[in-house]
Amino acid sequence: MKKKAFSLLVLLFSVSMILAACSGGSGDGEASNGDDKVIDFMHLWPEGSSAEHNRIVQEIVDDYESENEGVSVNIEVLSNEQYKDKIKVLSTSDELPDVGMTWPAGYLEPYVEAEKFAPLDDTLEGEFGDSFVAGTTSAYEVDGSTYGLPLELNVATVFYNQAIFDEYGLEKPETYEEFQNVVDTLKENDVAPIALGNKDRWTGSMWYMYMADRIGGTDLLTEAINQDTSFEDPALIEAADKTQQLAQSDAFVNGFNGLSDQEAKSMFMNEQAAMYLIATWDLPNYTTNEDVPQEFRDSVGYFKFPTVNGEGDRESFVGGPGVGLFVAENSDVKEESKDFVKFFAEQWGEKSVTEAGVIPATKVDAESLDLPQMYVDVLDDLNNATNLTLFADVQMSPEAAEVHLSQIQALFGGNVTPKEFAEAHQEALSQE
Amino acid sequence: MKKLSYILLYICLGIVAVFQLLPIIWLFLFSLKSNREIFGGNPFALPREWLWENYAKVWEGGIGLYFFNSVWITVVAIILTALFASMATFAITRMHWKLDKLVLGLFMVGLMIPIHSAIIPLFSMFLNVNLIDNPISIVLTYTAYNLPITMMILLGFYYTLPREIEEAAIMDGCSIHRLFFRIILPMTTPVLSTIVIINMIYNWNEFVFVNTFISSDQYKTLTVGIQNFIGQYMTDWGAIGATLIISLLPILIAFIFFSNKVVEGISSSAVKG
Amino acid sequence: MNKVMSNKWMIAFYIMPALLMVAFLIFIPLGLSAYYGLMEWDGIGAMEFIGMENYITAIQDAAFWDSALHSFLLAVFSTLSLIVYLAISMILASKIKGADILRKIYLIPMLLSSVAIAQLWIKVFNPANGMLNRALMWLGVENPPAWLANPDIVLYAIFVPILWQYAGFYILIYYAALKNIPESLIEAAKIDGATPIQIAYRIKLPLIKGIVKVTVVLAIVGSLKYFDLIYVMTNGGPNGASEVMASYMYKLAFSTNEFGYGSAIGFLLLIITLIVTVIVRKLTEDKENIQY
Repeated sequence: MKKKAFSLLVLLFSVSMILAACSGGSGDGEASNGDDKVIDFMHLWPEGSSAEHNRIVQEIVDDYESENEGVSVNIEVLSNEQYKDKIKVLSTSDELPDVGMTWPAGYLEPYVEAEKFAPLDDTLEGEFGDSFVAGTTSAYEVDGSTYGLPLELNVATVFYNQAIFDEYGLEKPETYEEFQNVVDTLKENDVAPIALGNKDRWTGSMWYMYMADRIGGTDLLTEAINQDTSFEDPALIEAADKTQQLAQSDAFVNGFNGLSDQEAKSMFMNEQAAMYLIATWDLPNYTTNEDVPQEFRDSVGYFKFPTVNGEGDRESFVGGPGVGLFVAENSDVKEESKDFVKFFAEQWGEKSVTEAGVIPATKVDAESLDLPQMYVDVLDDLNNATNLTLFADVQMSPEAAEVHLSQIQALFGGNVTPKEFAEAHQEALSQE
Repeated sequence: MKKLSYILLYICLGIVAVFQLLPIIWLFLFSLKSNREIFGGNPFALPREWLWENYAKVWEGGIGLYFFNSVWITVVAIILTALFASMATFAITRMHWKLDKLVLGLFMVGLMIPIHSAIIPLFSMFLNVNLIDNPISIVLTYTAYNLPITMMILLGFYYTLPREIEEAAIMDGCSIHRLFFRIILPMTTPVLSTIVIINMIYNWNEFVFVNTFISSDQYKTLTVGIQNFIGQYMTDWGAIGATLIISLLPILIAFIFFSNKVVEGISSSAVKG
Repeated sequence: MNKVMSNKWMIAFYIMPALLMVAFLIFIPLGLSAYYGLMEWDGIGAMEFIGMENYITAIQDAAFWDSALHSFLLAVFSTLSLIVYLAISMILASKIKGADILRKIYLIPMLLSSVAIAQLWIKVFNPANGMLNRALMWLGVENPPAWLANPDIVLYAIFVPILWQYAGFYILIYYAALKNIPESLIEAAKIDGATPIQIAYRIKLPLIKGIVKVTVVLAIVGSLKYFDLIYVMTNGGPNGASEVMASYMYKLAFSTNEFGYGSAIGFLLLIITLIVTVIVRKLTEDKENIQY
């Protein structure tokens, strides 16, 4: 009896030892299939939620592999949050994939400073560099070198429900007074004016950014973030004040500080709120997405953020490139990886807009493509844009962004005064 | 009077039971709806359209392999945890040595580490021994991180085991291994079933470690199947619901099975032992 | 007897597998985490040794102490709710009709993953469409609160699903413990004319005291390092009103690139938990150590 129990234990141990021993070999085996060079590529478009994105990536990878004998691409897909967490863990052990996705500015800077990402200036030389929309690659620039190839370009606009607007005889507002009037009319008729999911906080930040842009001019907020001027500028405080007044006047749906963007979006899409400020990544929902009723899609329009106090440039947008591709500095297939990201960005542009409804960061010829009218309008607006202010939380370092985002939530919730809001920003930004 | 209080008791118990069942019904309805309906409509309304394709979508996503991985990783980790924890608890409560309290304290400290503190050091350790992207790392981690809580639960039960039985066994010339495997382990069947259920739920639903340590599709588990439907800007909640229902079924069955084992009390197995 | 049970090799054989696993996979990471706590490190670039600075910052960090307070509150509520779970388990373990099926039903929610539980309760708490507010409005409440948006309420609102989530866990343990009590003891008491309440209080409770103490420790430790639902449902907001120690640590280490500081907070969390546990164990210690 004793023997039996003992041998069971021995067996268990030896099995795990053998398994562990075997695994030691297989870890290496994966990295080198024969003489092939393998590019490890991590992206964040899982098949289940982003079928088109995922398919396009696969197509591009397949094309690349067939055009480049001896190079293969090993793909790993994670969802957004998990992707960010995993990149973080990988970077602590200096194990970044050869090619991966990064966000611009504040997210990218620590990786550049630590020399984890390779500069892509040589890749961007010549015609290829010119194929990007002006200002998109510069969001990935640190000290004159570019470290990412942008894939998306998003601008925030106010989407509205034309059917609700018609019912109450409302027009798309061009000035803040008209906007205020729209809000008041909707409130009088017990319609929630604006869907906002401020649990996610960057959503509220966009409202503040537009206020700041219209009141203080197109460059003021960026200058304050870069500390070329103080964040306690009267215009920035006034913008905070106006935003707070709007939030305190029941313009946003009830309980917005506890709602996620997803919940707010569905309120807009279920016609429970008349307006919704979001970036153009949402365009498929209002144009091509078959899961959304046609009737609703037809009744959605958008307008550019109104002027405030009769000031401001309506052609100035909040937005910027979303994810971009990086190449790891310590990659053992760096040249191949650079070649791959270039190939990828070239192929991505047209395919992504026609097949996945992405506004790409590379120039596309809207005329020649068969696109829904709303895309044509947005691309047109982008061509005529006078300024594009990068999302504030993306511009800032992660530490300052956290202060910004929690201050936004506090401002909307009435827990800080506009002055305190500005002071907290100034303090956080000046410490950088 | 007594009858009335029984009726009242049953009404209360019944209401609670209904509330406990609602989540499953909710989840089932959820799995058949579109995003729009999930967030807009009444959660307990029947779906306007029964979207069985949510389930089809999930199957096509290659959930079968994830399912298999979940099962074997969960089972192996449970066996290791239950065995090692029982052995260690036996040593601490039954054997005579000086450092038992100290060692017990160490296990208790193990209970207190927040996993997000551990994840980065663990990653670099597994990297050094070449166990990243290897399911062994997952099995080992699950086992180690469930050991303390499992031992805590076992401890309370081991203290209540009558000493006479082992004294009698040793007098009869029974070896320690025989005492442990043939007498003590069977006597603790109810609590073993309990810890199997608890470990099963933990292992089955865990995703932080899997997401971090595993990158190849062939080793991923069911919880990763859920991640598949979370997008950069858009999330397919209906499909997540379907994945959750599919992954709920096996542990529901296993739960009912082990739940019955909990009832098979100490008295019956003690007699057999 | 004593000779057999104090054989060093045998003791090592039984204790080592568990001890080695915990030592390697929990204590080494713990040590490393304490070490990272002494560093200025964003988790990306180079580390810089700064001694105790992170710990000093933490001690002066109001946001940290707020989160610690929230964790303590959760621990208090979790511990108090054990009384309810114990009462339910006593009913389920008694020989009433249908106890078996009821017990299984009660434990079902425990099988759900945190993802599902979070989504369920987000829908319960939704201010406009949520089940809770619809019910309240149906009952005639004019302006039901926005549960997860109001900083004064959010913490208590989010405790409800957390406590509910763990109900099954404790009921399961208590149930197993109660079933472990020899039937003969209870029968004897019944013959002596003891009422069910007397039996519960005088016989069952003392017999499962060991397990009750264990669950108190588990509830406290589990609460102090609790993370899951808070992260998904409120992300600690609005404005830190529902931040707990573990979510604060996660935010620092993973979102804001203050990995060194986050590690220090993680280590403090452990120290605080350890101190609280030791105090609780002292308070519940038996004067005479009863062995059954």
